[in-house]
Amino acid sequence: MCSVKGPLTTHVLNTGDGVPAARMALSLHRLDPHMTVWSLVTIGTTNEDGRCPGLITSDAFTPGMYKIRFETGQYWESLGQSSFYPYVEIVFTVSAADQSVHVPLLVSRYSYSTYRGS
Amino acid sequence: MNRLQHIRGHIVLTDKYMNMAATLPSPLTTHVLNIAQGVPGANMTIILYLLDPISSVWNLLTTGITNDDGRCPGLIKKESFIAGVYKLRFETGKYWDALGETCFYPYVEVVFTITDPSQKYHVPLILSRFSYSTYRGS
Repeated sequence: MCSVKGPLTTHVLNTGDGVPAARMALSLHRLDPHMTVWSLVTIGTTNEDGRCPGLITSDAFTPGMYKIRFETGQYWESLGQSSFYPYVEIVFTVSAADQSVHVPLLVSRYSYSTYRGS
Repeated sequence: MNRLQHIRGHIVLTDKYMNMAATLPSPLTTHVLNIAQGVPGANMTIILYLLDPISSVWNLLTTGITNDDGRCPGLIKKESFIAGVYKLRFETGKYWDALGETCFYPYVEVVFTITDPSQKYHVPLILSRFSYSTYRGS
């Protein structure tokens, strides 16, 4: 098991209940600049701590536009609740200088926020 | 008053009511706030889409630009506002570019479900170069 943190990490927090959002499905996509289509890079599920290690390797984390899609609607449904947002997609740009990028999601049934961490 | 004048009076009245209907506020509103500079997010292009549930294609409904207060009135007419999945796209990258700055997010798309179109919905965007948040308001 690799102990070095990957170059791209996320952390999903359920701010409605004040807990990590465990077992939320998510996917990482990279924009192909030539064809302007999104290519799927990884599919994952958050662990008990709301994290999803191993999203991408350093070698594969080339500069460009990326998107993380969080299946928030499915998550709230599994908790027996509705939500305003069927899913959340965060689109962000990675430059050559970016060594370590953290894209967390703080989500409730009726709000969400994100920021660029490290 | 002759019959023609009487009828014309009715037509003028209807026009007045139609104008009133045209200025009814949109049941869907937004507000962009630039919290990095503590100002409204003015002159940002925003686009509203509605998902076609059969073809899963996003249909463009409205293109607008936020005013000096960061708002964009008239996003959708009350009679066009049906239940469904909508998407508001905010051209955040272009916004910061016009201010001579970079932004981590080239654009922001907020996808939301309208179950009861008789209600009012407020979908704001609170934004900096490296963060954003949104919530369901009224």
